[in-house]
Amino acid sequence: MTSIKMTVNGKSVEKEVADQTLLSEFLRENLRLTGTHVGCDTSQCGACTVHVNGKSVKSCTTLAVSLDGAEVTTIEGVANGELHPMQVAFNDNHGLQCGFCTPGMIMSGIDMVNRYKASGQELTSDAIRHELEGNICRCTGYHNIVKSIQDAAAKM
Amino acid sequence: MDMTGEYRIAATRDVVWQALNDAEVLKACIPGCEALEWTSETTLSARVVQKIGPVKVKFNGEVELVNINAPQSYTIQGEGKGGVAGFAKGGADVVLTKDGDETILSFAAKAQVGGKIAQLGSRLIDSTAKKLANKFFSNFHEYLSDDAPAGD
Amino acid sequence: MSEQGIGARVKRKEDKRFTTGKGKYTDDVRHENQAYAAFVRSPYAHANVNGIDASEAEAMDGVIAVLNGAQLTGDEIGNIICGWAVNSKDGSPMNMGAWSALATSKVRYLGDAVAVVIAETQALARQAAEAVLVDYEVLPAVVSAVKALKSDAPQLHDNAPGNLIFDWEIGEEAATDAALAGAAHITEMKIVNNRLAPNPMEPRSAVATYDEAEEHYTLYTTSQNPHVARLILSAFYNVAPEHKLRVIAPDVGGGFGAKIYVYPEEIVCLWASMKTNRSVKWTSDRSEAFVTDAHGRDHVSTARMGFDENNKIVGFKVDTVANLGAYMSLFSSAVPTYLYATLLSGQYNIANIHCNVRTVYTNTVPVDAYRGAGRPEACYLVERMMETAARELGVDPSELRRGNFIGEFPHQTPVIMAYDAGDFAGNLDQSKEAADVAGFAARKAASVANGKLRGLGYSCYIEACGIAPSAAVGSLGAGVGLWESAEVRVNPVGTIEVLTGSHSHGQGHETTFAQVVADRFDLPIENIQIVHGDTDKVQFGMGTYGSRSAAVGLSAIVKAMDKVEAKVKKIAAHILEASEEDIVIEGGQVKVAGTDKAMGWHEVGLTAYMAHNLPEGMEPGLKEGAFYDPVNFTFPAGTYICEVEVDPETGVTTIERFTAVDDFGTIINPMIVEGQVHGGLAQGIGQAMLEGVVYDDDGQLLTGSYMDYTMPRADDLPFYKVLHNSTVCPNNPLGIKGCGEAGAIGAPPAVINAITDAIGNNDLAMPATPQNVWAAIQASGKSIAVQ
Repeated sequence: MTSIKMTVNGKSVEKEVADQTLLSEFLRENLRLTGTHVGCDTSQCGACTVHVNGKSVKSCTTLAVSLDGAEVTTIEGVANGELHPMQVAFNDNHGLQCGFCTPGMIMSGIDMVNRYKASGQELTSDAIRHELEGNICRCTGYHNIVKSIQDAAAKM
Repeated sequence: MDMTGEYRIAATRDVVWQALNDAEVLKACIPGCEALEWTSETTLSARVVQKIGPVKVKFNGEVELVNINAPQSYTIQGEGKGGVAGFAKGGADVVLTKDGDETILSFAAKAQVGGKIAQLGSRLIDSTAKKLANKFFSNFHEYLSDDAPAGD
Repeated sequence: MSEQGIGARVKRKEDKRFTTGKGKYTDDVRHENQAYAAFVRSPYAHANVNGIDASEAEAMDGVIAVLNGAQLTGDEIGNIICGWAVNSKDGSPMNMGAWSALATSKVRYLGDAVAVVIAETQALARQAAEAVLVDYEVLPAVVSAVKALKSDAPQLHDNAPGNLIFDWEIGEEAATDAALAGAAHITEMKIVNNRLAPNPMEPRSAVATYDEAEEHYTLYTTSQNPHVARLILSAFYNVAPEHKLRVIAPDVGGGFGAKIYVYPEEIVCLWASMKTNRSVKWTSDRSEAFVTDAHGRDHVSTARMGFDENNKIVGFKVDTVANLGAYMSLFSSAVPTYLYATLLSGQYNIANIHCNVRTVYTNTVPVDAYRGAGRPEACYLVERMMETAARELGVDPSELRRGNFIGEFPHQTPVIMAYDAGDFAGNLDQSKEAADVAGFAARKAASVANGKLRGLGYSCYIEACGIAPSAAVGSLGAGVGLWESAEVRVNPVGTIEVLTGSHSHGQGHETTFAQVVADRFDLPIENIQIVHGDTDKVQFGMGTYGSRSAAVGLSAIVKAMDKVEAKVKKIAAHILEASEEDIVIEGGQVKVAGTDKAMGWHEVGLTAYMAHNLPEGMEPGLKEGAFYDPVNFTFPAGTYICEVEVDPETGVTTIERFTAVDDFGTIINPMIVEGQVHGGLAQGIGQAMLEGVVYDDDGQLLTGSYMDYTMPRADDLPFYKVLHNSTVCPNNPLGIKGCGEAGAIGAPPAVINAITDAIGNNDLAMPATPQNVWAAIQASGKSIAVQ
């Protein structure tokens, strides 16, 4: 067991965890933040995507103990008083159906828009599709997810 | 999957043959082998730890020597059960050919896996099996050439 | 059309919880003192189980119990059953092999469970499961249905000689043979429909809790139909009587058919919760899902279609071998028969059809309904035959279809179905225009100038939704009725709860169903709550599959609303001293038409519950229920056109355009319907180009993770052009046909027809991976033509 301290959604947390605890497990089981989902066991589907120090990572392949001192944002921490433009865009554009992949899509979407804006690149629909390589959705056929991210990018 | 290979070993065929029948030597040369003990004249029990792709498995298994034609050839075959992770089985026909004071060791090996190892690691199995087989025979080659135990 | 009623693009009410991480899925449920289950599964496809040594696992700290199949059968937990009895053509019943939730003496597929460990943590349960030693005696395995029928094949079940489950037929064989014998042209093909893994993104999960004092069970589970699950768990698996079992399917992360069935894991969790007196939770990981969730498709067919000298179809004969896996899953018998062969008439006027189907056991995961279920297999067969026939006859494939379209309704096919409405030629015209087929030649020339191949393919699909009526499906062997129920509760303050037996696992019922109610009573959509997925709240229901929720589930709601409206009018007429016929409901008020006499909608509710002043003899309250049993299937149909570009050097294929024109009847929410089409198309394109379950000859699964089973990704897919050409369904109150499966049914032949058009070789198997396409190009010699 190792004691770790991190900031999750703006709140400081300190817990004793087993060394093999994955971040996804830590969030879901230790902190009961169940918005982060686990959809596969090979780091392909991206349902578990969260932000660590502002960058998107797959929480199912990150050990909690490796993040001592880190700032973690999950889907529950994205809205700041009001919904984040990405969350609004997914509702406006019907970018979700069953909702299971949605937290990961939104976290990836926000990170993607931030990176492209920071580097001054245009986030085209082709670029969005390419960036979504690590996020699998089985319901939407991606059409409306791509539209959602494009829409949010214009408003972020 | 099938693999073949050939090594020239700077030792006489009798020495090589003895080594091939020495549990301590085999244990030192089988990659990931934690234990290897004779259970009869032709069978050994083995414990081997292997990592195939994302799966790390501890195999408990039986190794058997058949088709023994001392000191020229035998077939070494084994089956390891990794519990929930699945199983691995394989074998190698080993032939020793005299070449003066040296010996040419040639082998033809086969490997098969099942269960979770196959499910998650199937793309990696061919390369892993090839690597392991080569590792064994190169360990064995080094062991006899240097007369010092080779590591994993 | 109002902003929130029928036909409006209302944004989904349910989205807020999903976009903020507040959805509640089964794995999010965690009880106090939760225990966890891990299954010990066979690593072999076929083996005798000679013993199980659980002593090491049982001795581990934190292990509560290790349970096996002998204990399960000892407690009289019933075998898993197939709920649809299909007889062979000689009248003999299907050969259903015994399927115990935990295998006792024999395992028949990789992943078959032999024991379960219950432990204090999930990690510990999994660790202990690895310590359970099972003595397997490995047997030869067979994974191909065609090979399983051979005389020397390994035998799976003693009561199914030759691994044959049933040998079934539909249609008139002699008449079809005679028609083919007189045909001017015959097109013949061997067609394989590849095996798929459904892969809803939420893995299956179950949390079972036994209350010893009440002798009552509660099961949270990932189900598309919680009431059906309760019925089966009670009546057939003997887990608990229905009134002592509550099944809750909370938010469910996609189903696509895979979550219709009751699987061994739910049965075992319930039973284990009683055995251990603990709440027991199991959540599948993806690897486990690949070897336990029912697979879909897996047909091998030969087909012959005959045409007369005017290119009219005179006969169609099909022989199909369907792989059902190691055991018969819940609807496995119906999928390759009544959901498949009954659609072989497609959109065409065909006087003579015959289809023979043999269903077969193999050492693979059981096969059952996956999005489309039988209809994609039929559509793929018919539409590839039509395209190939057009190429052989040297006619435009769209014109060959048009010349054979059914134009008058109702139309009785020779394979049971009576189509009720449609506009097949209209769908074709609209899609050709939207796809700019006229400009294809120029686009093709541009591709060729770039060293690429370009092709265009059609698919004119028809399917059957809302399987019904109950008496008819009962006569065909179904073990359940296929109606739906609803209850509409108007509260004293006028807000409305609608309880439905349909289940939403992504379809957006909380929005679309509320739209229909808002439309009917002219109320704000916020005042309407849709309740589903809990057997303690909703009386009964058949759940959601087969694109039935709107056509059947909404029809039940409409029937219940009819009753509510009648009572509202009676109450208002009484209070307002008017005639019932003059009462109208609008703008949140109940009015006497043509006067200023009115009362608020909420006042009617209050009046009904106060019961101080009701018409004589009227019961208090304002709550009505209804059961709706459809009089016929519904028949969504449409035309899909796919345009691809192929790189002849590599076989890499890109979809340049995909156009869909669908006839779904009345559309409640176009935004949601289009979303359903998008998702269906992605799965159909996935089947055509990317997906396929592969076993090796020993029954080891080679595509058991997302590293090897190719799920469609965003950059594999185009933006789709989705349009509607609706004809109203005459057989249900709203005129709805259903939209959930169309995309997955119609897309695969459109894609393959386009690729085969591009490469000039009709012999191309799904999935059309670059490797397969490249090989087909080499066989056709087309690459040389481009260079």
